[in-house]
Amino acid sequence: MKFKLPFKKKQKPIVNTSHNNKEILSPSKIDFIRSIKDATHSPADLMVKSMLPNLTLIYINNLVNDKNLNDHIITNLQNATMETPATIKQIIAIAEVNISSQLEEAITAIINGNVLIHMEGYSQVVLANVSTRESRSLTTPENESQVIGAQVGFNESLSTNISLVRRYIMSPDLCNEEIKVGTRTKTSLNILYMNGIASDQMVNTLRQRINDLDVDALLDSAVLVEMIDDNTLSPFPQMLLTERPDRFCDGLLNGKLGVIVDGSSMAIVCPQSFIEFFESREDQNLRWQVATFVRLLRFSAIFLSVFLTPIYVGALTFHYEVIPQAFLVPLSESRALVPFPPVFEALLLEFIIELLREAGARLPTKIGQTIGIVGGIVIGTAAVQAGITSNILLIIVALSALASFTTPSYIMGNVIRLIRFPIIILAGFWGFYGIMLAFCFILVHLLRQSSLGAPYMAPFYPPRFQDMRDSLIRLPLPYTAKRPSSVRATDQEKYNPEVEHPKKS
Amino acid sequence: MKNSIQLSPKDMINAYLLFFVIHGAQVGVGIHGFQRVIYQDAKHDAWISVLLAGLATHIIAFCMIKTLEIYGSNDLYGIHQDVYGKRIGNFFNIVYILYCFVAFFSVLRNYIEVIQTWIFPDLATWFLSATLILITIYAFTGGLRVIVGVSFFSIVLALWILPLLFVPLKFSSIDSLFPILETNVGSILKGAQSMTFTIIGFEILQIIYPFVKDKENVRKHVHLGLLFTTFVYLFIMFVSLTYYSEGKLTKTIWATLSLFSFISFPFMERFEFVAVCFWMLIILPNLCLYLWAACRGAKRVVKISGKKFVWIFSLLIFIGTLFVQSRTQINTINTQFGHIAFYIIFVYPIFLLFVTMLKKKYTSQKEQK
Amino acid sequence: MKIFKFYFILLFLPGILSGCVETNILDRVGLTTLVGYDAGTEEKIATTAVIREVNPEFQSNVEVVTTENETSKGNRMKANRKLSKKIMVGQMRVILFGEELAKDDLHFYIDTHLENASISNSLYLAVVEGETAPLLQYEYKNIDDIGQHIYRLIEQNVKQEHMISSSLHEIAHDFYMEGKDSAMPIIKREDDLIELTGIALFSGGKMVSTLPVEDSFYVKLVRDSFTSGIFETIIQKEDIPPNLMTGTASDMPVAFDAIRSKRVLKLVDPTTPEFDLQLKLKARLLEVYPDVNLGDPKVVEGIENAVSKNLSREISRVIAHSQNVQSDIFGFGEKYRSSVRNSNLTKEKWHEMYKNMKVNIKVEFDILRDGVFE
Repeated sequence: MKFKLPFKKKQKPIVNTSHNNKEILSPSKIDFIRSIKDATHSPADLMVKSMLPNLTLIYINNLVNDKNLNDHIITNLQNATMETPATIKQIIAIAEVNISSQLEEAITAIINGNVLIHMEGYSQVVLANVSTRESRSLTTPENESQVIGAQVGFNESLSTNISLVRRYIMSPDLCNEEIKVGTRTKTSLNILYMNGIASDQMVNTLRQRINDLDVDALLDSAVLVEMIDDNTLSPFPQMLLTERPDRFCDGLLNGKLGVIVDGSSMAIVCPQSFIEFFESREDQNLRWQVATFVRLLRFSAIFLSVFLTPIYVGALTFHYEVIPQAFLVPLSESRALVPFPPVFEALLLEFIIELLREAGARLPTKIGQTIGIVGGIVIGTAAVQAGITSNILLIIVALSALASFTTPSYIMGNVIRLIRFPIIILAGFWGFYGIMLAFCFILVHLLRQSSLGAPYMAPFYPPRFQDMRDSLIRLPLPYTAKRPSSVRATDQEKYNPEVEHPKKS
Repeated sequence: MKNSIQLSPKDMINAYLLFFVIHGAQVGVGIHGFQRVIYQDAKHDAWISVLLAGLATHIIAFCMIKTLEIYGSNDLYGIHQDVYGKRIGNFFNIVYILYCFVAFFSVLRNYIEVIQTWIFPDLATWFLSATLILITIYAFTGGLRVIVGVSFFSIVLALWILPLLFVPLKFSSIDSLFPILETNVGSILKGAQSMTFTIIGFEILQIIYPFVKDKENVRKHVHLGLLFTTFVYLFIMFVSLTYYSEGKLTKTIWATLSLFSFISFPFMERFEFVAVCFWMLIILPNLCLYLWAACRGAKRVVKISGKKFVWIFSLLIFIGTLFVQSRTQINTINTQFGHIAFYIIFVYPIFLLFVTMLKKKYTSQKEQK
Repeated sequence: MKIFKFYFILLFLPGILSGCVETNILDRVGLTTLVGYDAGTEEKIATTAVIREVNPEFQSNVEVVTTENETSKGNRMKANRKLSKKIMVGQMRVILFGEELAKDDLHFYIDTHLENASISNSLYLAVVEGETAPLLQYEYKNIDDIGQHIYRLIEQNVKQEHMISSSLHEIAHDFYMEGKDSAMPIIKREDDLIELTGIALFSGGKMVSTLPVEDSFYVKLVRDSFTSGIFETIIQKEDIPPNLMTGTASDMPVAFDAIRSKRVLKLVDPTTPEFDLQLKLKARLLEVYPDVNLGDPKVVEGIENAVSKNLSREISRVIAHSQNVQSDIFGFGEKYRSSVRNSNLTKEKWHEMYKNMKVNIKVEFDILRDGVFE
């Protein structure tokens, strides 16, 4: 019983459109211009520029770089005489110049920011790529900030992102495959992996999955993840989305595969196990004792975040026996005014916290901070004074919300917050039994998942003690010389674990 | 030999996971209150009974592995069909499937009884059994890999309970164990036999064996698993014998759970309430493995899809739990099941080993001619 | 897949609707913290319950309700009729018995409380001098919650090793043990305070005698061990070694703390029966009057011997008392059972033998150190 959505299985219908595609461009200038205009539906920014003696330049204004166009094409064309498109190709001082006579190719090129140079009497046109892509400059990663480590994040430009990656990994083994996805958007995405480290089988699987996609548009990598991961219906993401180039490269060097989608500032890393979502790149930059402490802190935070409120609800609704006597009086007195049962009270408060979070995320940063203050202080205090909630629950809910934000992956953090709600409801109905039901269900669910065929619960199940050295804890570097076995890396060793200690002079 | 099981390496498990499978299958609801049953027979020498029962499991596991090794890669159902022929073999298989059914049922019903006694006296039986069955089905449909994973996590995540048993030790007196061997040997053996209900589960080995990748390591890990179980039972028995006085132990129905009553943390008292709920994780591998074993058998006997079988199986179990309501009924089932299980688990494998060895000799002689 | 989901919804919707359980929301139940049982009229049980309730006025008040009925559950129902909140017993900490009831039989009460899964095994049992109802109903000036107060009182004294521990588990443990009898503290109201006044000795389920609270040290010494007790005694004149008799003509009070003790009990003769009781104590000398030179090893040895002698005498007295009333609260019988094969000990049999039991007491007392000022 695997959950699969039908659209994945649909194979791309192979339509024989060869005779359409092979339409040859007209040698006549007027026919040429008309055919281009027809094919692009004569957009307002389509520029047609005639140049003496017999040249026509067609391009889309917003896609080309004006400076390149002027300096390297128009100037060169004016200063020389040309007989054939082949000579034009030589004259133009642009790196990427092609010659084609097919309409389809010409249209694709113009949409990608090429300038078409047509010469009266020839059906071949020169395609000169002077495209420019609007993209913002590189900034610090907003969603995955860290204290120690690189402060640069991916942006929306594919080529910038790849250049960032190449700057980290200067190796000819860094493979880069381009695939276009989306019948309408034709989004290009690149699969990156390290040849000699990454498992070929996994590369094939990933390539196959992306090629099998039959979608009309792909606007973001997050959508791609949802379409290609192993279980689409699970709330748990099975591939990591990161905007940190260092984390991305770390994955590649560990034998994982990366996908960068054009127009998306989040890169995909897969296969990713559940536990790795809670590891931050920063852990590698800290000393191992500190890193271990931080990781344990994070894992206990997740546990608290998911189970603290349900335990409160369960204990107060059914299992008053387990409450220590010292807590008994403050707990019952804080709830004395509250008219609702604990489950409703908890859900209400969790709902308010989620509202605050959502409002903070939607609003501009400056107002977002105000929302935090308004929510935290005003609503919290007022709710307690009005007797809608008890102040102890307020602390618990705030604590579990805080704990959920320690997750380095925002998407995983969202899941942690989401799964709390059904558990609270279960705890409200069946106490600790309900919590345990949820726990077992989540455990079985996690065990059933896989990420690109690799076990999701690695390295705990199947147990690999070697890999556990860098999971819940992080041991010193000499002990973590092996790549995780779940990625089935071709080359297992990262480095020689026998570190030669420098002699003290 | 014929009808051996061929599997792709993807479906197979490593031998060291058998440690968790065996231990996970053995520890379940029996551990809640086995002290009382054995104490009734063996008095304060009950720990010797536990030790003997543990020893017996080792011997039987040895026989089981011996039998399985003769066939290379086959399970009990295939061996039955080969040894006795299709018809009689299938009869034995059906008996074994029924055994798995009753075992599943008794684990489930006992756990429900514990929940109803300790925490929710007014929670409907059908609801408890439905939720537990659904989770079992969800794990089962994930395949053997998930089931073994559940056993693994159920043990690893429950290990922290064991050190908690040192807490009651402060109320214990070592005098309760003396004089050693006061009870006669017959009673001690009878006590060991009463352990059957608690200590069974390792028979899953006969079904899971063909799924093991490195069969040469099976022996080691199975015996380690059994050893760990014996150790756990022995430890709990020691703690219970010294913690309870003779009269109190015979009157305490779930002695292990009552042991937890004294354990308290600064943020939580009455640990037994948590333990009762937490036990769900510990019985889950029991349920999954029995369901899986039954399913393997059913597939061998009749052509049936796993999904269909699971629904029929669970429906029967579900209806069954509705009919068995009172404590006396449950106790009768436990005792009767314990008796039958004793013959199926502790006597029959030795017989089977002899039969297979005879058969092997016979066939090899035939081949030589 | 759709079928699976369908089943899931099919099973879960009615599950949520009808699988609901009765809730015990903390602030909507009255928590019984203490229950006192008295012998009622005409075979009935008189129950006094201390129930803590929470009011919307942010105050928790304590109600003391006395009811009389045939069973303790019946009393609970009766008490429920008098209160606005459901009464729950899961947070019960102390059970008190009236003297008269304790002298009758407590077997039934121990069993009822063991049977109820929501009652903790760690609650304390105690006997009240006189009746429990007046003790609980009295309006104390400084005690807010009488239930919690009594619990803290007993707990504190048990933790400090001033009093023998009497949790439900231990009482039931001793009660169901053939070779041991249970003992409980006795409490009493002293004006506006509640005080531990002694130890009740039981024979089976019946309270047969009492020991004064001062003897609890000796009882505990023989029953189990000390890890950090306090003990004060008066060395009598004849025990004081002559070299210490410098000018003092009277008795000599001494106090020790940080006492660690170990008892070794051996059965030497099963027929009588005769036991060797060896007690090893290590302590810190805290107070001694009059001033003696503790730097002198001979003086220290003298005190050690004197205290040992004193302890042996007191312990013999306490054991003799318990033998007279046939209450083996020290567990000699358990030692007998574990040393003699096939003894088939029963309570009656042991009580017969206990009367004639002989104990040879040997006390080794060591003073480890004194304070910071000599």
